[in-house]
Amino acid sequence: MVTLYLLILPLAGLLLTTLVAIAGGAGGDGNGAGAPGAARALVLNKAVALLGFGAITALAILARGEIGAIVEGPVVLGFSLSFGLTPLSWYFVMMIAGLTFLTVVFSLASVRGGYPMYYGWLFAKTFGMFGVVMAGDLLSFFILWEVMSWATFFLMQQGTQEARRAAVGYLVYALVASMALFAGVFLLYRAAGSFAYADIAGAIAGFNIGMLLLAVALTIVPMLVEAATYPAHWWKPPSYAATETALTGYLSGISTRIGIYGMVLFIFVVFGLETIDRLWISTYLNLRVIIMVLAALTMVVPTFTALFQHDAKRLMTWHSIGQGGYMLVGIASGSVLGVAGGLFHVFTYLTYVALILFSIAAVESRTGTTNLNKLGGLIKKMPLSFLGLLFGIIGLAGIPPMNGFVSKWLIYRSLILGGHPFIALAAFTATVGTILSVYKLIHNIFLGQLPERYKDVREVGPVMQIPIVILMITVFATGAFPGLVLPWVARIQESLGLTPIAWSLTGVAPEMGQLNMAVISAVFTGTFLLGWLIYAIGGKRKHVGQYDNYAAGHFLDASVPYNYNYEFYSGIEHIFGRLYERPPIKRAEAGLVELLKRAGDFTRRIYTGHLNTYLAYTVVAVLLTIVILKGGL
Amino acid sequence: MNFSLTVLIWIVVYPIIAFSIGVLLGGYGRKFTARVQRRIGPPWIQPFFDVVKLMSKSTNISHGYMHDAAMMMLIGGTVMTLYFVPVPGFAYFSQFGDFLVIAYLILVPSLGMALGVGETANPNGSIGISRALQMMVGYEMPFVLTFIGMAMLNGTTSMYELILRQQAGGIATWGIVTNPLLGIAALISLQGMMNEKPFEVIVAPHEIATGPMTEMGGKYLGMMFIQHLIAIVVEMTIYINLFLGGARNWLELIVKLFAVWTLILSVHGVYGRFRTDDAIRFLWRVPLPLAAVGVFGIMLGIG
Amino acid sequence: MEQRMTQRSAWDAVLARLRKRSLFMLHYCTGCGAIELPPTMTSRFDMERLGIMPMVTPRQADILLITGYLSVKTLKRVVLIYEQMQAPKYVVGFGSCTINGGMYWNSYATMKSLDQYVPVELYLAGCMPRPEAIITGFSELIDRIGRGEANSWKDYYENYEFYKKNQLHLFGEIETYQDIPADAQKFGITGVRA
Repeated sequence: MVTLYLLILPLAGLLLTTLVAIAGGAGGDGNGAGAPGAARALVLNKAVALLGFGAITALAILARGEIGAIVEGPVVLGFSLSFGLTPLSWYFVMMIAGLTFLTVVFSLASVRGGYPMYYGWLFAKTFGMFGVVMAGDLLSFFILWEVMSWATFFLMQQGTQEARRAAVGYLVYALVASMALFAGVFLLYRAAGSFAYADIAGAIAGFNIGMLLLAVALTIVPMLVEAATYPAHWWKPPSYAATETALTGYLSGISTRIGIYGMVLFIFVVFGLETIDRLWISTYLNLRVIIMVLAALTMVVPTFTALFQHDAKRLMTWHSIGQGGYMLVGIASGSVLGVAGGLFHVFTYLTYVALILFSIAAVESRTGTTNLNKLGGLIKKMPLSFLGLLFGIIGLAGIPPMNGFVSKWLIYRSLILGGHPFIALAAFTATVGTILSVYKLIHNIFLGQLPERYKDVREVGPVMQIPIVILMITVFATGAFPGLVLPWVARIQESLGLTPIAWSLTGVAPEMGQLNMAVISAVFTGTFLLGWLIYAIGGKRKHVGQYDNYAAGHFLDASVPYNYNYEFYSGIEHIFGRLYERPPIKRAEAGLVELLKRAGDFTRRIYTGHLNTYLAYTVVAVLLTIVILKGGL
Repeated sequence: MNFSLTVLIWIVVYPIIAFSIGVLLGGYGRKFTARVQRRIGPPWIQPFFDVVKLMSKSTNISHGYMHDAAMMMLIGGTVMTLYFVPVPGFAYFSQFGDFLVIAYLILVPSLGMALGVGETANPNGSIGISRALQMMVGYEMPFVLTFIGMAMLNGTTSMYELILRQQAGGIATWGIVTNPLLGIAALISLQGMMNEKPFEVIVAPHEIATGPMTEMGGKYLGMMFIQHLIAIVVEMTIYINLFLGGARNWLELIVKLFAVWTLILSVHGVYGRFRTDDAIRFLWRVPLPLAAVGVFGIMLGIG
Repeated sequence: MEQRMTQRSAWDAVLARLRKRSLFMLHYCTGCGAIELPPTMTSRFDMERLGIMPMVTPRQADILLITGYLSVKTLKRVVLIYEQMQAPKYVVGFGSCTINGGMYWNSYATMKSLDQYVPVELYLAGCMPRPEAIITGFSELIDRIGRGEANSWKDYYENYEFYKKNQLHLFGEIETYQDIPADAQKFGITGVRA
């Protein structure tokens, strides 16, 4: 009953950490000020988290054998909840467990504030996410979805005032999405008479176009919002950027991707491709194409917005929005390579974004800032973080030999051969935009001149280095041998009733295209050695410091700022500057907020807050009641 | 294709051949520009002398290990791209990577150079890299769109198959004849990709002290020269393979290389340099719509 | 300037022949000499056919062309640039001002003899030397490199105390971030003193 334990363990962990936190007398400002009991509680919580998540990861690996088994859960409102592992679920469970464990290990050293419930909320969120991906029927899905959203909110709001405010923004979007989902679940239940996926799929087959459209709008749109698709992506940058950096890595990696799980579930399992394709406007323009166009916009616009950011976390958050577009476009395309690419992208994205954000967190823990205009030149002081960030950005940009390239290759090929050239162009544009902004990231943090104030910075300790190294190895290994993960993707495709991808250890089988990552990696190494050979032919070299530099004859020293950080892409900022400053979606959102405020102000005239007015209302209501009763009698 | 002794010999010899052709192309470029300016110009193998002189410098200055490794990555990346581009007699690696792989491998040397230049801690270098990356946004989009169009038309993303098809049908099936809009758009973007005027914004000696080359000297500059010479061969071979029917033998390839290079030099020799944002705007306003119209045509079944 | 003959192997001879065909020049355009360079580089006299090309930074250049008088302030920068260049490097003194102070022979503000501060490979006399003279001078430099006699750069490492004393006397201590004696050790620079 590993499946059962997978759900019970996080709950137990949550309970335990809450008790410990309460016992430690913490619960004040969330910054762990003062009480020695709070410090002891935090240490105990860290131990609980480490052991707990280690056990969860081990269980997740073991759970592989239990795919297909159904676990009956508690009875709610007369309906029994059910949980089970499908291949898709297990894929997500493994990713959730792995990433959470690495985040916990990393957080042991990186979280500066003594948040008492940090690990508690991680347990809660893990419980929610496990529940959502393992849900066997729509009711469990919805209930655990709610749990997950709330847990995310609590997790995100730890820290500064700004984090709290931004988390409320997330909550608003999430609640609106949840309410729509609730309406959708209810609608489907009414039509099918039960919550089971199979029954609902059967009922949907009989829907007319109007009902189908409504059902799709109420279920798929919330998934798009959770996956931060353009234009519903504005909740993400403020909330993810304001929270703890280790959490930004965790949330970017897997939290938003639950929306992708939902998309796959609804498109392929609940609705089915044939049903979705019934919604079309013209031969070429159907719902899936509209989703792909939205995904294309998601890929391009946020990636170019990331160029302008001067906060490292915000830059990465915009990227995480953009990369969600890749997954969406792959899945919505419905083709063998596309779906495989989209699903594989979830995995590759997780590895390299966590790697990047852990490196940024390492830098933040040593320098205290993530402001790209202030950092620079840290490569000599923090070489491992640099290497981690380097592997991460090569993966994010999708350059061989890292794993990001494989998933992107699959998606491109499916788009080109599937007859979507402009969406493929959008994907490629997004890649180029990604290269620009990640280079800005690595340049402004690690390259360039080292400011005087950081000359005593040291590399981070082993606790933070271990997750970085593990992720680096994963990124490289799955890049050279994507066949380590592709069989799982193929199994998922089979379980969804699609043609599975013909994979090989080093890429894809020859009939699917020409891709052999091991050969590419080998050639990469070989040519690097050739470069080394040519380098060795030249004479001896000496290493010089940063002040021994060309400055047109000027004598350089620490007092002269000789660095190019600010407005790194001034040419592009010239072209897009105006759009960035007042982006249309932000204006729309601001307009909506303004409208709500006005409506709220208007209701203030009724609920004035004055006792006299309420007494007057009461009197009038009583009189009216008397009049009506008397009149009616 | 199987691995054999011929393949092994090609693997060893091919970079040297490409470098030699690059030297001749580079020297021809300088001669051509000189003649346009009514001068005599240096000898044809002048780039070879430059490279020898640079690699034989006695003292070499570097700013750190990343600087050293980046130069290796620079040459390594270009040679790697070289291996995957099919040429007459050597297409062994095409079965392991198609055009999408090539399009991404082209980015590896730029990234390597960018990291190395970053470590030199010179703002002129950083500005140069920023301009190089911005130019990439400019020229990659039309170029990739033209490739997407060709791939859609032929139903394959393998460059080797594209060549075979063009060679089987003769001149009438060359990419530039069947899809002239795509061919012209790609040619304009090629000018940007090869960093020739008016798109020569990366190395801007007067504005930013040669950009990325600022702190490079001795063998580092020598390696950059070697990379540049091989890169011009690679980029033009990609264009020839896509739109000019590939080449059946080396003589044909060399003739086509010189023809395309002359065309590029003719524009390079008479233009000044665009500003970065002007260059990007031009590349988005002229070749990109041309390519888009061409791709629309393909989607509608014309061409 | 003494001719320095060094024993050299066949490989050195071949290398010198190849190296002399390509020279990157950094013009330190002080004073009036800069004006004679555009005619030398453009169509009529075409310096590029000798393989000489202008380059922008000291890291990339072989020849440092000092085209006129040097005040104390600019001499400091010349020493900095010279030390930033990579060996083998050749300083060419251009015009009379570098030889003996030229027109400013009795000024308090200029230096009078360039080879007191950096080793000079070649002087081009004239106020200003015409392009024909410049080309003759560079051809002479090319021949010297080919014969293996252009080794004045080694003198900086061997006689560093001499140059340093003169520099200190003229403008005091400057921070060039270079350690010349250590470099001489590291790169094994030795020469035969005549």
